[in-house]
Amino acid sequence: MRILVIEDDKDVASFIRNGLVQAGCNVDHAANGRDGLFLATTEGYDALVVDRMLPGIDGLTVIRTLRASANTTPVLILSALGEVDDRVKGLKAGGDDYLVKPFAFSELLARLEALARRAKTGSDAPATVLRAGDLEMDLLRREVRRAGKPIDLQPREFQLLEFLLRHVGQVVTRTMLLEGVWDYHFDPQTNVIDVHISRLRSKIDKGFERPLLHTVRGAGYRLDG
Amino acid sequence: MRLPRLFRTNVFRLTLAYMALFALSVGALSAFVYSATLGYLDTQTNAIIEAEINGLRETYERSGLGGLRDVIQERSARDYEQERRSFYLLVDPIGAPVAGNLQAWPIGANDALGQWVDFVQRGSDTPVRALLLQVGAYRLLVGRDIREVTAIKQVLRSASIYGISLTLALALVGGLLLAISAERRLAEINRTTRQIMAGDLSRRAPLKGSDDEHDELAQNINTMLDQIENLLEGMRHVGDSVAHDLRGPITRLRNRLETVAAAEKPSRDDLADCVAQLDQVLATFNALLRIARVESGAYRSAFTTVDLKPIVQDVCELYQAAAEERHVTLRGGAAESVEVFGDRELLAQVLTNLVDNAVKYTPPGGVVRIELARSGDRAQVRVADSGSGIPLEDRSRVLQRFTRLDRARSQPGNGLGLALVNAVTLQHHGRLSLGDNGPGLVVTVELPALAPPRALVPSAAVR
Repeated sequence: MRILVIEDDKDVASFIRNGLVQAGCNVDHAANGRDGLFLATTEGYDALVVDRMLPGIDGLTVIRTLRASANTTPVLILSALGEVDDRVKGLKAGGDDYLVKPFAFSELLARLEALARRAKTGSDAPATVLRAGDLEMDLLRREVRRAGKPIDLQPREFQLLEFLLRHVGQVVTRTMLLEGVWDYHFDPQTNVIDVHISRLRSKIDKGFERPLLHTVRGAGYRLDG
Repeated sequence: MRLPRLFRTNVFRLTLAYMALFALSVGALSAFVYSATLGYLDTQTNAIIEAEINGLRETYERSGLGGLRDVIQERSARDYEQERRSFYLLVDPIGAPVAGNLQAWPIGANDALGQWVDFVQRGSDTPVRALLLQVGAYRLLVGRDIREVTAIKQVLRSASIYGISLTLALALVGGLLLAISAERRLAEINRTTRQIMAGDLSRRAPLKGSDDEHDELAQNINTMLDQIENLLEGMRHVGDSVAHDLRGPITRLRNRLETVAAAEKPSRDDLADCVAQLDQVLATFNALLRIARVESGAYRSAFTTVDLKPIVQDVCELYQAAAEERHVTLRGGAAESVEVFGDRELLAQVLTNLVDNAVKYTPPGGVVRIELARSGDRAQVRVADSGSGIPLEDRSRVLQRFTRLDRARSQPGNGLGLALVNAVTLQHHGRLSLGDNGPGLVVTVELPALAPPRALVPSAAVR
């Protein structure tokens, strides 16, 4: 993945950069909005990480300018402002996802991968069947089968599995699940998500030799294909 | 150039305005008295003169010029004896006096026949009013001494001037006194506020006990200062407890890191543990920030109409699995939609915190019940558990930040959950109450409900 990081804080920038390089990404860094905008328009990236508060041209303006010139590179906004209206403003400006500082690096990576993937696969023809290994989800008939055997899921379990299937092979964090499946942006104290996952796991993996749903320590979950 | 402070005071300016108004009133009153009095006196003098002329005219018509001359001579002589101050003069066509007690026709009065004339009698300096008449070829003057009228005029005029001057002087002195006293009271209050601005918050404006508007102002300022001091005290308390409660985990983390750093081969697990601990600290900070933001009213502008029913259902469903895992039965229901004016995220977090607590503190086999109902014009969310409850004396304490009851220490948590619930409830103009579920705790959040949509109100019965 080729990633551009537009971030003025040196520590945060090098933290992101080192992490992304370790994860095998190709990383460019710009310390202000103008350089960032220049790089983003002249080079091709898989995703951008844009800090909201930047010297000179601020992050939201960078994104708006890019979108105005028909640049559709997915953008992850970083911000110290974490309230719902800030998030809405960020997404309205053309951001694709919003991450509040401080964040865990695994969270950033998971979200970036999801963004880059979404952009690559595109959504020209909406899939009606999602697959991972021998697991199959028919979105029209709302049926799930594994190895041809029907699996009975509660509505929320269905949504959860759908989210995981749409991010198959990627790490999905707990907050991504809470946002994507429940549409809430706060942190419940007890790890309620884990319990939901373990129930789902018992339904789709129990009795099968090869487990599909894995826990990624310190990060989240991954549904393997 | 600036005027001395006293002359810039509002009271002084007001006094000046009143002074002008007073002077104007006194002036107008004097003018009225002056003209009324003089008018009366003039009319009286003129009436006397006219009466005499009428008498003389009758004499002239009855006995001709000779009779007229005799009467005038007689009256002049009588007047002279009695000092009645009437004046007569009859002159012949060439102007020589024929009869009367005036030596000569007044100068310059020749053209004023048939008119009133005021002149000063030569020799005695007496002011005279007279009417001049043509009698055949002769001319007649009948007049009266108006010395008294003139004197009264003089007195009235000077009385007006003195009156106005005195009024102005008194108003000026009064204004100055008023301005000085008001200035002195305000100066005390100003001095106090300046001292407070300089940092001495314990100062209070002095009260005179006079119960006037200045005392009221001072009293209000003092009450406001008490309020500010209380708030500051509260802030200080929160700041202290934040520092105190965060020092614990941070110190533990520091010690842990020291151990890890000293180890020959730092293990990955140890470091991951450290990160997890630090995440806890960050979560606590975020929770504190959130409470502070809620309390500052920052969310109010984004309030919209929110239906509580889906939130209750969501949270119920979110915790269903976690509750079952702990062998706690979670039952929840929302029979009807109840809309409130608020923030969906915050309200969901309130319910999440309450259900989280309830599930956490209910022993296996227990029951947690979530209910949403409309009661009058209020939305009521009740979260009841069958745990050990909260003793009456602790119920208000647990709403404060970082309060963790002893038996809660075995469970994870930061002591901020109910503080956030409380803050959000208050920002929604709601009421939070903790009660006894016998056994267990029942938390009730009451929020002002919006009126139900018309279509849902059964109206068929009316038709």
